[in-house]
Amino acid sequence: MSDIKVEGYKTSVILATLGQVFEGYSDEERAAQLKKNNGVFEFRVKDAAGKEASWTIDLKKTGTVKKGEAKSLGLKPDVTIILSDETFVDLADGKTTGQKAFMTGALKTKGNMMLATKLDGVLKSAKGRTKL
Amino acid sequence: MADRSLQQDLRSILVKSRSIIYHPHLTTAIAEHDMAMARQFFDAQQATGPGPSFSPSQVPPMQDLMSRQFALTAANRGAVPNLNDAWADIQRTQAAHSLPHNAFTSTAWASEFKPAAFTPGPTIQQSVPLVNSTQNSHLIGNGFGTMGSRFGLNAAPQAYLQGFDAHADVKGKGKFQETDFDAAFAQAASSITAAQIEIQSSGDAVDELEKDLNNARLDDVPAATPEDLLGEAEFKSVWEQMQNSDMPPKPEEMAKWEAEFNQLMNAQREEGEWEYSSSMQRAWDEGVAADLDDSFTHNMKFDHEGLPILDPYVFEQNNKYLDPSSSTQSPLALAKQMLEHNASLSEVALLLEAAIQKGELGEGGYEAWILLGETRNMDEREEAGMKALTEGVRSCRRSGCRRYGDAPISYTNESLDRASHTMLMRWLCARFPDVPVPPEAQSSLTRSSWHSHNVVTDAFLTVARTQHAQGVIDPDVQLALGVLFYTNGAYDRAKDCFESALSVRPTDYLLWNRLGSSLSNGNKPEESLGAYREALMLRPTYTRAIYNVGVACLNIGAHKEAAEHLLSALSMQETTGDKSKQLWQTLRRAFIAMDRKDLADLTKRRPLSGRFPFGGVRVLNQS
Repeated sequence: MSDIKVEGYKTSVILATLGQVFEGYSDEERAAQLKKNNGVFEFRVKDAAGKEASWTIDLKKTGTVKKGEAKSLGLKPDVTIILSDETFVDLADGKTTGQKAFMTGALKTKGNMMLATKLDGVLKSAKGRTKL
Repeated sequence: MADRSLQQDLRSILVKSRSIIYHPHLTTAIAEHDMAMARQFFDAQQATGPGPSFSPSQVPPMQDLMSRQFALTAANRGAVPNLNDAWADIQRTQAAHSLPHNAFTSTAWASEFKPAAFTPGPTIQQSVPLVNSTQNSHLIGNGFGTMGSRFGLNAAPQAYLQGFDAHADVKGKGKFQETDFDAAFAQAASSITAAQIEIQSSGDAVDELEKDLNNARLDDVPAATPEDLLGEAEFKSVWEQMQNSDMPPKPEEMAKWEAEFNQLMNAQREEGEWEYSSSMQRAWDEGVAADLDDSFTHNMKFDHEGLPILDPYVFEQNNKYLDPSSSTQSPLALAKQMLEHNASLSEVALLLEAAIQKGELGEGGYEAWILLGETRNMDEREEAGMKALTEGVRSCRRSGCRRYGDAPISYTNESLDRASHTMLMRWLCARFPDVPVPPEAQSSLTRSSWHSHNVVTDAFLTVARTQHAQGVIDPDVQLALGVLFYTNGAYDRAKDCFESALSVRPTDYLLWNRLGSSLSNGNKPEESLGAYREALMLRPTYTRAIYNVGVACLNIGAHKEAAEHLLSALSMQETTGDKSKQLWQTLRRAFIAMDRKDLADLTKRRPLSGRFPFGGVRVLNQS
């Protein structure tokens, strides 16, 4: 998964895990995920130094995570999510929600905002959940 | 506070003498006008008396927020039993509302304001002396409102603020510098009232007035809060509206904007994927299930209390215990015995299934079902477990007995929060029939899970506090509270609850596992391992705890260890039938994380034979 990781971005670690999760889906699980989310998410993540890196999650056709802007991958982003590395980590850890981050301005979107509301669910699946 | 000191001044002066002619804080120019205004008000008040003098029907058609508020005040006034209070209220309100009107006449204000194209000003100024007080106040209200809306359209809102500022300056001879609206309003209100007293102080009404005034002052603090806040809130909302509403731009800007807009819209149209309404609809439809990852819960239906409506439990085929010759003992009794002796959970489940199929349902007709559900859950077969528990709950409800077992926990694991709340509430009512449960607690269960969570948690906390006061720790109540906090993501508090339950029942392996999961999901997977270890020491065949250890390892990043634990969990589910989907899926994740796609692909085949196809752990160790 080294092709997803970018030095200095915690986001990339989480996205790499997420990529593994997607890869681990059986065909029916993947089909269910695609049906549920049905969109191309583009992320533009700024690190502490203000440098920007991009990743794209395709949950429309292939169910994959890739580095780079959607355009460079030959995809059209349904929603572009602009946020900081820190916010991304908080989202994945469940410390904040997409809505909260959006309301406080920590997260900005371009495109279909309704899709962005599914972000929480997508990111949560990066982490395994233990059971009671 | 300047206005407070003003009031005190005023009162002390009043007490000393009943005929004060001059108030030191008023400038002559403003004071004259104010006095005129005030006299008008006062005369009218005298004429109409303190009864309800405003009614909504009298409000001129050009309504706005301010005049509506006036009507509101009138309505409120009707509701106030004490007429004196009401009188005081209305006086204050009128005074407060008339302030901006006064502002028109202040020269500072006028000069501030003229460039901002203010048209209705003169009309109002003229109208003031002509109308009787009832209409007068409405007109003032209207005037102010009109002014407000004009500001929204034509003038920068700051002009208004500046005008106000200037006005406050004139008013207080530079003494009061507050630009704050509240202060300005209160200030103006008291000074106008003061003016009223001065004018009337030589008349017959002096005594009455003074009484009223004293009442007004005495009631000032308590009476001021609700109504003034209301007015303030309304004013603020209007103000914010004004601030946020864009001024209509110049025509050329308008054209530019329009062009931009069209360009944007066309650009989006070219992309052709912006069916907003349909995506909105879709988001709405799927919103309820958005959090549920599992395809199993995805298309679930629920009853009005949030309990899932599930397909009937599917019994395993070829159950060897169904063979009548296999055993003479009752399968239910045998299953209980095996459970106690740490036997394979899958075997126990088969026994229980046989018992149910043979019609041996145990106590109350639900015992076998609940037991089967709990066993399946411990064996990390959530779907089967939940179905069995739901069956058990149903027969339990029918027979009137109340033992729900792990049903709330099973629902919690599948994020069916409302169902979990419902079960916990039922349990609470059954366990503590004496505890008064507010009726809204029951009705809340039919609404959203956010609402029911609060209400049910409160109910349990009440019980827990009573018990604490008696020095009792009830592990069941603590467990329930822990589950409630867990559903809400408050893992720290869940942990505390489970720990205090464990202090009473230290050998409860289920509790240890639950403590572990609170830690693990609360971003402390390392600490959770200790708790899981305790659980597995007490119960080595506890498949769920093994699975949880696997997940925790995965989250720590110990992928190989995770795979080992998951494999051993799978090997626990040795008997026939479908193995846990979740286990396979998590195992696949572990393999991929290890960069062993070849192994991951093998898991996709999901062998039903019960044996891992390549010797499991051995292969793993060679890699």
